[in-house]
Amino acid sequence: MKSRPSIFLGIIAILVSALVFLVPFAFIILTAFKNKQQATLLDFSWPDGFHLWSNIVEVVTTRNWMMVTAFINSTILTVASVTLLVVFAAMVGFVLARRKTRWNGLIEFLILAGLMIPPAVVPTIWLLQGIGLFGKLHGLVLIEVAYGLPFSIILYRAFIATIPRELDEAAIIDGARPFDVFFRIILPLLWPVTVTNIVVQSVGVFNDFTNPLYYLPGNANATVQLTLYNFQSQFNTSYNLLFTNILLITIPPLLVFLFFNRHIVAGMTAGAVKG
Amino acid sequence: MAGLELKSLRKSYGEVEVIKGVDLSVTHGEFVVFVGPSGCGKSTLLRMIAGLEEITGGDLIIGDKRCNDVEPRDRGIAMVFQSYALYPHMSVYDNVGFGLKLARAPKEVRDQKVREAARILQMEHLLDRKPSQLSGGQRQRVAIGRAIVRQPEVFLFDEPLSNLDAALRVDMRMELSKLHHDLGATMIYVTHDQVEAMTLADKIVVLNAGVVQQVGSPIELYQRPANLFVAGFIGSPKMNFVELSVEEVGTDTVTVSGKDIGPTTVPADPTSLKPGDAVTLGIRPHDLTHQSSGNLVGEVSLVERLGNETNVSLRLPSGAAWLAVLDGDHELRIGQSLPLSFAPARAVIFNASGIALHRKHTGPQIPGSIAEA
Amino acid sequence: MTVLSEAGSAPTHGGRRAIRRSPYPGWFFLPAALIYGVLFLAPTFASLYFSLTRWTLFNSTFIGLDNFAQFFREPFLVQGLVNTVLYAAITSGLKVVLGMLLALLLTSAIMGRGYLRSVVFFPVLVSTVGVGITFTVLMHPTQGMINETLALFGIKGPGWLVDPRLALFSVALVDVWKGVGLATVIYIAGIVAIPKDYYEAARIDGATRWQNFLYVTLPLSRPATATVIILSFIGGLRTFDLIWAMTRGGPGFASDTIASVIYKQYQAGFYGLSTAGNVVLFVLIGILVVPLTMFLNRKQGHE
Repeated sequence: MKSRPSIFLGIIAILVSALVFLVPFAFIILTAFKNKQQATLLDFSWPDGFHLWSNIVEVVTTRNWMMVTAFINSTILTVASVTLLVVFAAMVGFVLARRKTRWNGLIEFLILAGLMIPPAVVPTIWLLQGIGLFGKLHGLVLIEVAYGLPFSIILYRAFIATIPRELDEAAIIDGARPFDVFFRIILPLLWPVTVTNIVVQSVGVFNDFTNPLYYLPGNANATVQLTLYNFQSQFNTSYNLLFTNILLITIPPLLVFLFFNRHIVAGMTAGAVKG
Repeated sequence: MAGLELKSLRKSYGEVEVIKGVDLSVTHGEFVVFVGPSGCGKSTLLRMIAGLEEITGGDLIIGDKRCNDVEPRDRGIAMVFQSYALYPHMSVYDNVGFGLKLARAPKEVRDQKVREAARILQMEHLLDRKPSQLSGGQRQRVAIGRAIVRQPEVFLFDEPLSNLDAALRVDMRMELSKLHHDLGATMIYVTHDQVEAMTLADKIVVLNAGVVQQVGSPIELYQRPANLFVAGFIGSPKMNFVELSVEEVGTDTVTVSGKDIGPTTVPADPTSLKPGDAVTLGIRPHDLTHQSSGNLVGEVSLVERLGNETNVSLRLPSGAAWLAVLDGDHELRIGQSLPLSFAPARAVIFNASGIALHRKHTGPQIPGSIAEA
Repeated sequence: MTVLSEAGSAPTHGGRRAIRRSPYPGWFFLPAALIYGVLFLAPTFASLYFSLTRWTLFNSTFIGLDNFAQFFREPFLVQGLVNTVLYAAITSGLKVVLGMLLALLLTSAIMGRGYLRSVVFFPVLVSTVGVGITFTVLMHPTQGMINETLALFGIKGPGWLVDPRLALFSVALVDVWKGVGLATVIYIAGIVAIPKDYYEAARIDGATRWQNFLYVTLPLSRPATATVIILSFIGGLRTFDLIWAMTRGGPGFASDTIASVIYKQYQAGFYGLSTAGNVVLFVLIGILVVPLTMFLNRKQGHE
């Protein structure tokens, strides 16, 4: 094989990738810096002045600081559902990987089904109304947990299968009860895959649009994705504000990307290949 | 003071029976080694004693308590695993102290016991390290340390030395022997390595296919193997076998002959034999000597000259492959005929079902030493 | 759900042996099973019934297969069905091809490899609605940057999202733009896992670069291909947010998919019909993805 990096091919690839993948983001940023008049032109030009700050202020304060509410809601939603996901999925993955019973086939089938089958929306709404969780943030938390479980369980089960069973046994001989074995021995060892899980699922929940749209109607509970969707019609003519909004909600995934790129890639491929 | 009693202990997975009724008694302070080929059930038996495998039938008595359904932590046992199974996220100190922590031992007690164990094993300087920072031998010590702090009545070892390199294995073997001597506790040790079994054990239990083949001291097993399996398994290199038929039956001898060996009278218990019966004669490679007037002749197929001794692979006229270990150096050619002889008293006669027919003089035959077909 | 243990066979002690607790307790399943069972499985089963009813959430009238009949009679609903399959096929096809090519490029010794991997992958993490809005603007027929750029070269760009013949494909392209990073990453993982020995053996046999690709990389990255196809095909069949953010199924019903139909019928209060849409999607995934998975896995077993 060639040892020297192919420079020619590299330059072409960098140029093309910049055109295809970076220009749209540059467009978002540039538009967010513009004032209303210039933004309306929808062109790829340098901003006339620095209007980012006033745009942000306007986006954030619109509709009675709805953006702030939305960020708080999205944060609660993400943190709560991912926390529950991690603990519950790890528990299932642990027992599923360790104990072979005749139920395993059925359980694995249900997990795969959950990866494939789209949720039945209206019956879910009907059910949520029945148990008083429709339109409630904690209801949506549970929904996100339910929909995220199959992926997380598959990740955990695959990882737990690589932890030697002798560790559990050593702990049992040392006098550990099942609860101790899981929380003192297994869960700490799952840390790498837990980070992956946290990162992948947080991005998914934070960016989720469909489920809040169905299960969390009303402005009081809006999440950031819903807010953006609502602003789309409201800021129909104020593209500077619309793109400022997009820029704001892209920051959390960007931070995640910068700090956890490796984990996301590892997790998504591991989960995908196993699934 | 805790001995151990196994009464027709059984284990099956569904239809498959892997431990087929094991009877064994171990007195306090004994070092017992379970040995056998892989898949013979020795590890399963150990794990049943530990409480890691359900017992399907029979009784397990530790001390004077029936322990079939007792949780592992209440059995008064500690176990050292083949892979050591150290908790990777804990320091050595925490690894050793984990059991005490779970038992809610006061902090001072725990600290004192952990340090005591570390002192016994000379690993005080390792206490702050993580398992990943330790060498194989050091991990082994930590695993043993974790067992020691539990102050168990019975130590269980599951092939603890098989992950170490050869030199370290010899060192650790000696240390284990010393530890057994110092602690005076009962130890049960599983290995597939018959050298480990011979060197460590007070008592060896040879297992095959879930059945105890023979129980006895190392020398007893070597000199008076109960059946073909034990004869072939214990001793290195392996015992040579040849099929012969009975010529003549004496009072406590039997004369055998065949294609490979002319009439030879061997001491044995001939009560169940009559002339014409098929038997197997076994003789250890070290018991063969090179003599021009030998009672058998083989064709040399391979020679390994080690200086102090010479390993000769031979093919007998019947096609049986034998090995002879001859004292001193011998210059031999491949293909040449080599006359050999052995002292008849060294040979063992096995009947058609593989049972050894030792002459009944010293000591009784060991019970439960029946080979299963 | 305790360990399967038979009655004791120790006659001297008689009776059943006490069953020791398993170190892997069944109740660890409980929280997950409860949430998953109530919020996912139960509605899925309920949908089978409600799809056969006229439904107002408060009461339901059984009307047999009327909802499904309507689904296959009304032209705009049929179009939604066709669009869904088309969309899934286009997006997964393009993701497989482009993902493979990008992965080959990004596993070779190329300048700026780390940068390229990042830049291709980043859109996967960005809000779909945000991407949808951005591309709606970029694809604006007169003012949009894409057509303005084309105009510089004297090309009159099409009405990406306003032309009924194009709208679905335009959205599909954006889907590929956003999702190809994941396909690439999966392929990279697959290609990197191929032992170097194969390439060395092929080199000794005198294989060209093309033969290397054809006889080593392609067959040995088949698990990755299967994953990419299945993953993006299912994703394509279920797609909703991007279409909703970009076209709302329009113009007309030109870019409606089953998922957007489900939402529209739900908004309109036709809950039974909406649920029937869910069942149709469910069945569609079943009859397309299950054979596809089996096909891809069987091929894999040949290796």
